[in-house]
Amino acid sequence: MHSKPKVLWIDGVSCYGCSHSFYNYPQIKEILNKIELIYHPLLPSSEFKIQKSDLLIIEGALKNNFSRLDYNLNELISKLIKLSKKVLLIGTCAVYGGMFGEGILFDKDKEGKFYKCHEKMISIPGCPPHPEWIAYAIEMIIENKKILLDKENRPKEIFTYTSHMGCVRNEYFEWKIDADNFGEKEGCLFYHQGCQGPFTHSSCNRILWNEVNSKPRAGTPCFGCTEKTFPKKNLFETETFMGIPANIPLGVSKRAYLTLSGVAKSLKNERLSKRLIDEDN
Amino acid sequence: MKITKKIITKIEGEATLKIHKKNNIIEFAEIEFWQYRGMEEFLKNRPYMDACVINPRICGICGHSHLIATSKAIEDALDVKITKKAEILRDITLGLEIIQNHIKWFYLTLYPSVKSKDYFKALEFTKEISKIIALIAGQFPHNSYSIPGGVTCDLTNLELIKIKNYLSELFNKYQHIMDIEGKSNDLEELFSDIPKTTGKGLNRFLVLGDNLFFKSNGDVKYIKEEKSTSLNKNVMYKDKYFEVGPLARNLDNKIIKKIYETFTDSVYTRIFARLYEVNLIFLYLLEIIDNIEINEKNYTKPLKKSGKGIGVVEAPRGSLIHEIEIENGFVKKYNIIVPTQFNLSNSTKENPSPAQSALMNEDEKLSDFIFKCFDICAVCVSH
Amino acid sequence: MSKEEKKLEIMKTALNLFAKNGFYNTTIADIAREMGMSVGNMYNYFPSKESLAKELLIYTSKLFGDELKKINEMDISTKEKIKKIVELYFKKTKEEPELVDYFMRVYLSNKEIFNNGCEGMLCVSAFVTEIMIFFEEGVRKKELKNQDFFSAFGLFMGYLGGLVFLYREGILGKDIEEYVEPVSENIYNALKA
Repeated sequence: MHSKPKVLWIDGVSCYGCSHSFYNYPQIKEILNKIELIYHPLLPSSEFKIQKSDLLIIEGALKNNFSRLDYNLNELISKLIKLSKKVLLIGTCAVYGGMFGEGILFDKDKEGKFYKCHEKMISIPGCPPHPEWIAYAIEMIIENKKILLDKENRPKEIFTYTSHMGCVRNEYFEWKIDADNFGEKEGCLFYHQGCQGPFTHSSCNRILWNEVNSKPRAGTPCFGCTEKTFPKKNLFETETFMGIPANIPLGVSKRAYLTLSGVAKSLKNERLSKRLIDEDN
Repeated sequence: MKITKKIITKIEGEATLKIHKKNNIIEFAEIEFWQYRGMEEFLKNRPYMDACVINPRICGICGHSHLIATSKAIEDALDVKITKKAEILRDITLGLEIIQNHIKWFYLTLYPSVKSKDYFKALEFTKEISKIIALIAGQFPHNSYSIPGGVTCDLTNLELIKIKNYLSELFNKYQHIMDIEGKSNDLEELFSDIPKTTGKGLNRFLVLGDNLFFKSNGDVKYIKEEKSTSLNKNVMYKDKYFEVGPLARNLDNKIIKKIYETFTDSVYTRIFARLYEVNLIFLYLLEIIDNIEINEKNYTKPLKKSGKGIGVVEAPRGSLIHEIEIENGFVKKYNIIVPTQFNLSNSTKENPSPAQSALMNEDEKLSDFIFKCFDICAVCVSH
Repeated sequence: MSKEEKKLEIMKTALNLFAKNGFYNTTIADIAREMGMSVGNMYNYFPSKESLAKELLIYTSKLFGDELKKINEMDISTKEKIKKIVELYFKKTKEEPELVDYFMRVYLSNKEIFNNGCEGMLCVSAFVTEIMIFFEEGVRKKELKNQDFFSAFGLFMGYLGGLVFLYREGILGKDIEEYVEPVSENIYNALKA
């Protein structure tokens, strides 16, 4: 029998949300049984030591003068990367830096400290990343399957989508009907409430969270948590220039978008202009 | 006397324990946290609503409590009242966060510090708990559905029925972990070689939040934060250290009280209270979910732009305090006090904190276990 | 003459009549007479006066839109763009006063004619889209103040409309093109960041 691939899971500056997100993967047991988890910051594992691994999983950001397991964090990460065959960066912190520091591969939009090792790295950003994305990446790597990556080392099978795709508020987006307020079924959150869904690379509304829901479905805007810009300022308000959204859906020209939205807005959708469920009629 | 330094891991981060011992008996222990993430600085000069996205990211396991505390602090600052419905929904999601925390803590953190145990059944359970939270809040971890003024979701009875069925199904399942009489095979197995009177705390308890069915026994104005030897800050109430958490807030329950009267505030009692609290929360949630008026409003927009406020909730590990100062819509000052700071203050041998007291005079080989019985959240401390 | 060219000619004729006799007082028969066509033949081109009015609106909107697009695509400052837009407007007012009149007055004061198929901004979308792009880019480049679209749009278009009105009423003391400089300056000062 082949020995199981050795997987070392190390934590940078983190909140452990990535681990806790992964815990929600329904078949987590199947995955963990396929690997030898030589270290994990939370799950039972043997004592930590610097050692070789087939796969190094990093959760959390880099930060100068931050101590981890009695080592200097950045030096520890550097050693572990050198000793690993593949590196899986999970979470926006590990990929871009997020809110806590610098990423491993990128420092926001610049190349990061370990960009030189990008050939053995795979990025799964997200704050937290969806459990299925983490499971996908681990499976693909340990089974030695080819993962098609984009320019930021993200698997295309996950990040070619936008979080807008599959949103149940899409009809409101089509007809340019804004949500008046929070806490309502009706309306699209893109125009006022700051939803970044149409220009955020992620598949949250395609595969759903915890298998049942997503933030926009629960009336919360998408905060673009998979992007290098996360967290932007003023997350519950849409940035506009003279009332026109500063960020428009990916892949469309501003002219085309404005023409289309002007048309949609002018042709009022009667059904969607009212409350969906109304006691009076 | 010898001092050994030990890094404690698997506590949502790490802590340094400096054990002063004589013949393997702990005479005193120093507790240090050497990580700092600067959350409060990060919030400064941002629109106050951003705190609803930033603060859950303080912690991957109890971030939802930080979200609710944030909403409450801002509501206090801006004089906003929320509807009964929003209140109930927050109780449900926060109650569920406490439940998933306790189960994960018991099987993933505490058990492995003594003996090995199949932890997949815990994850099997907690992923279902996460699912109920997600039905209301969109996702777990890290949602932002609770905002100043209420909640962002607008449920139908379809979700409510599903939530209720999930709750009763999981409550029944939980009976195999600890039943309503307080019987738990896994807990007894854990204590097969450990005396149940091990690890006594200070026998002083504090409850500051009043969410769910918890009753506050103190006033947050008597809280004082003090510099410690590491990056953690010590927290005192009326100049004394107090234990916060499930034991503190459930002493009026007769089953927990009986255990407490038998073993006082030992490790066993503390663990028992935590596991039993899960039952109490399930029962409470099954009761309040029927009080939801589906047509009631979910959200009221805050009108004021400036003010100072405090939000206190009973989080998985105890009382959690958020303080905010808002000026013209922007965060001017933010301060967070977490339960682990109360229980794990780093004080002196003469005036120890609850965890220090529990460690003293015990066998060094149990230090990891005793330390972890407080359910430590190192990331919360290093906010 | 192709059908499209013929339609264009009918529209121009109609424009003149609208300007001379007013929109309501002009009938399809008047336009046919002026064109030297039979009324029956007219209906081959436009089934009703309303449809003619609508196509005319789309035509003018596109005409202005195309010109604005050229200005938007120039590599010049927002201040210079404002001047180009004012210039365009006043020049058109002199060259084709009926067209500008129609666009600014007939359309806005007879909205009920355009209710069926021309709702909202539908028929003027080519023009409005370019104006939006002009404003959006001005703010993005930090040359214009970020504000509500309509408060900026109203200031710009209302001002130009007012000047065109005064010119058409013969009240303006000087040639309208002499106002390009001060009017552009005022608009820029009012909208700048």
